[in-house]
Amino acid sequence: MPVGTTEPIIRMHHVDKHYGQLHVLRDINLDVHRGEVVVLIGPSGSGKSTLCRTINRLETIDSGEILFEGRPLPEEGRELAALRAEIGMVFQSFNLFAHRTILDNVTMGPIEVLRRNRREAEAEAMELLARVGVEAQAKKVPAQLSGGQQQRAAIARSLAMHPKVMLFDEPTSALDPEMINEVLEVMVELAQEGMTMVVVTHEMSFARRVADRVVFMSDGQIVEQGTPSEFFDHPRSARARDFLDSIKGH
Amino acid sequence: MSADVSMRDALYEAPGPRTQRRVRVGTALSLALLAAFAAFVVRQFSVNGQLDPKYWSFFARWTTWRFLLQGFMGTIHVAFMAGVLAIMGGLLLMLGRISPNRPLSAICHVITDLFRSLPSLLLIYFFFLVVPTYGIRMPAFWMITLPIGLAASGVLAEVFRAGVNAVPTGQVEAAMSLGMTHGRITRRIVLPQALRIVIPSLVSQLVVVVKDTTVAYVVSYPDLMQNARVLISNYDALVSMYFVVAILYIIVNYATNQLSIHLAHRGGTQVLSRVDEKPV
Repeated sequence: MPVGTTEPIIRMHHVDKHYGQLHVLRDINLDVHRGEVVVLIGPSGSGKSTLCRTINRLETIDSGEILFEGRPLPEEGRELAALRAEIGMVFQSFNLFAHRTILDNVTMGPIEVLRRNRREAEAEAMELLARVGVEAQAKKVPAQLSGGQQQRAAIARSLAMHPKVMLFDEPTSALDPEMINEVLEVMVELAQEGMTMVVVTHEMSFARRVADRVVFMSDGQIVEQGTPSEFFDHPRSARARDFLDSIKGH
Repeated sequence: MSADVSMRDALYEAPGPRTQRRVRVGTALSLALLAAFAAFVVRQFSVNGQLDPKYWSFFARWTTWRFLLQGFMGTIHVAFMAGVLAIMGGLLLMLGRISPNRPLSAICHVITDLFRSLPSLLLIYFFFLVVPTYGIRMPAFWMITLPIGLAASGVLAEVFRAGVNAVPTGQVEAAMSLGMTHGRITRRIVLPQALRIVIPSLVSQLVVVVKDTTVAYVVSYPDLMQNARVLISNYDALVSMYFVVAILYIIVNYATNQLSIHLAHRGGTQVLSRVDEKPV
């Protein structure tokens, strides 16, 4: 696990954010290194999704700074769009473009943003769809697919942009239980191939198996972090112990 | 939910035996009522002499139809141009209104509300009576088409805005996460979905545009209604003429409906998923 050897690809420095009275992010300091898989866990409302969404500025922050490859996040316009093109994001509710086919969903970024030609983009999209196992659905619209298929197609859509980092915001929380594993398998493969990943999830088995580092959040703060075995087997804080106890029944 | 679920299936559960019986009785009753009403109408027509050949015979003449069809084409011409103007104007007003540019948004808001709240007849008088006093001469066609189109553009701007608001935010966030710029997201993701959402309201409004053209007589533009009026005074055949004209309007508006439905389905994508995202 490369820690401290190179400049972190993502660096969050004293980040604070409020929603009105609610202090959703409190003095967040977090570095993510290239090739690292960081899993954010914590009770709902603890700010982990918000944290994830600040990294590509889908959420703004009130104070502190976030650096991507050493540069502060651009605040708007083409610079911000260019930054987002380098960061893949997978959403809880898939968010495939409802009016376009699965193939169009995957080629839209490369064609419209990266200015690739359609033939190449479609060839690569078909490879990606095959890799996540939904190539047979390429000509269908999202609503004709199961949730698991939609989420795998959404992962393919992000990968088509050749992102430097992938953010996963509760990617399996909206799925029926029997579809969770097909999505997690794709994510495990990505991690094994060395993709830098920030994953918000409730899937503890995934965290244990794949994470280089587990970050535990509660009430907008990072309470503790460590390797999966450190965190799951020897949690240091009372809040982490309570949280782990509360989900043991699952 | 599948697209094949008809409105009926979506609103009512499958009818049981008692309901089926009741439906059959209801159908028979309403058919009987309808027949009775039709008989009553025909009887009243005949009692009042409206079935007299003198009120109908001129429909056998080609010149009658040619004159009516000229008016019909006039109506189509005005309705089509006003419809195009309303859709383009409505889109521009809506895009201005939702733009982050505050002054532009405020101006578009005011224009939208103005066009929306003024009766189209008042706008027509404006173009007919006020504009020419400033030395601007325009043909009767534009004196009817512009006000009707502008009035409808105000309503359509609001219809389009409702459609844009109905596109789930997750769609925009996904497009942003791919690095698409604001304008591109609007053109490629938001508008195509918003337009499909608002097709039913859009159709209703285009039908209103067709109906608004009937006030063309104010500017003496020869539309269907105006030409019918001329024929009525020539032949003294009020009821029969309005009867035929009503059928012509129904045909136009039915065609408007069908065309819109056809356009809505042309993309081949019928179903829009409506999963909204709640970030926490």
